[in-house]
Amino acid sequence: MKTLKISRQNIYLLIITLFLLLFVLIFAFVVLIPAGKEYRQARSITNKHAIELTQYQQLNDQTLQELKSLQEQHRTIITAFDNSFDENRFISQNKKFFQNLQVSKLVQLDQKQPFDLYEVNATSKIDSPVVFYNFLDSLNKGDWIIGVNFPIHFQRDGELINSSFTMRVYALSEDRNISKPAKDTNTTVQQ
Amino acid sequence: MTYSYIKPRVKRVVSAELQLVFIFFTISIVMLFLTYGFLKLKIYTFEQTIVRIEEKKVDLNDAIVKMQGQIYIIEQESDKAEKVTTENSVLKESIKNLFDLVPDRITLSQVDLKKDALVIYGMTPSKDVYEFLLQAPLRSIFNTTYTSFYQLENGWLSFVSTNKIDNKEVLK
Repeated sequence: MKTLKISRQNIYLLIITLFLLLFVLIFAFVVLIPAGKEYRQARSITNKHAIELTQYQQLNDQTLQELKSLQEQHRTIITAFDNSFDENRFISQNKKFFQNLQVSKLVQLDQKQPFDLYEVNATSKIDSPVVFYNFLDSLNKGDWIIGVNFPIHFQRDGELINSSFTMRVYALSEDRNISKPAKDTNTTVQQ
Repeated sequence: MTYSYIKPRVKRVVSAELQLVFIFFTISIVMLFLTYGFLKLKIYTFEQTIVRIEEKKVDLNDAIVKMQGQIYIIEQESDKAEKVTTENSVLKESIKNLFDLVPDRITLSQVDLKKDALVIYGMTPSKDVYEFLLQAPLRSIFNTTYTSFYQLENGWLSFVSTNKIDNKEVLK
């Protein structure tokens, strides 16, 4: 029988090759493949988050656009709410309609109201009631948001009409107390 | 004297072939570890990216909520301003209509305009003039109309007309 002669070198080579093969297999299955799976999962999650971020960014841009558009559209109203009421300026702007105009602030019992109450006493000529209409028109175009309140009292005094009424001056600081609906406070991005 | 035609060479435990195999194996193992290291590094990078994205999402969400709050306030302000403007316009028209109602033959001395009522003080040459020229149109507007007359020295009649309405739309 012919015996197979393997040199010592070849035996070393064979052992090392087998060892390497074993090591590679173990390393691949135990370490590398799980790491690869973890990598793919992490990449997938990152992509998902990136898509969500893009959606948030788009929503942010849309909301910003809407806000700017509204600010531009309602600039006059926003400015009117921003302005704090100045009695002297109000009188100087509206005294052209009346012979006499007096404005005094009233103390409100209910402090939570989103407006300040002022009492207005005005005197106009009896032959020109149209000035009162012009005054009401000018309120709508004025520097503040002012609503004329009932009751309105007209009293004839010779050739003059004394009118007295209260008016509501709406202020921004008070309006900001209005609580926002809960549904608007949580922003959700559709997946 | 030599007994061989070749020169003697040093015999090593690790031959040149084995060295080559060792180098090849080493490179293979190093590449495996490098691959593993690369994966771990990428995983770490992804995790860091996710953390940054989450932070950005929170920031964006806060900004969106803040802007939505501002939008809500502007819409509230706009609605309020529109309502006030409309009420002022309606009030102006109501007062204008009231003064247009009054005929030249009747003189008013006092008018109290309330949300659901109108009280008119004035003078009329006769009861008939008042009833035909002022009371008739007032009756068409108000649900309840009540008038008191007082005789004046000059022959005219002083009147107080109290008019009430159930529907608030007429005055405001």
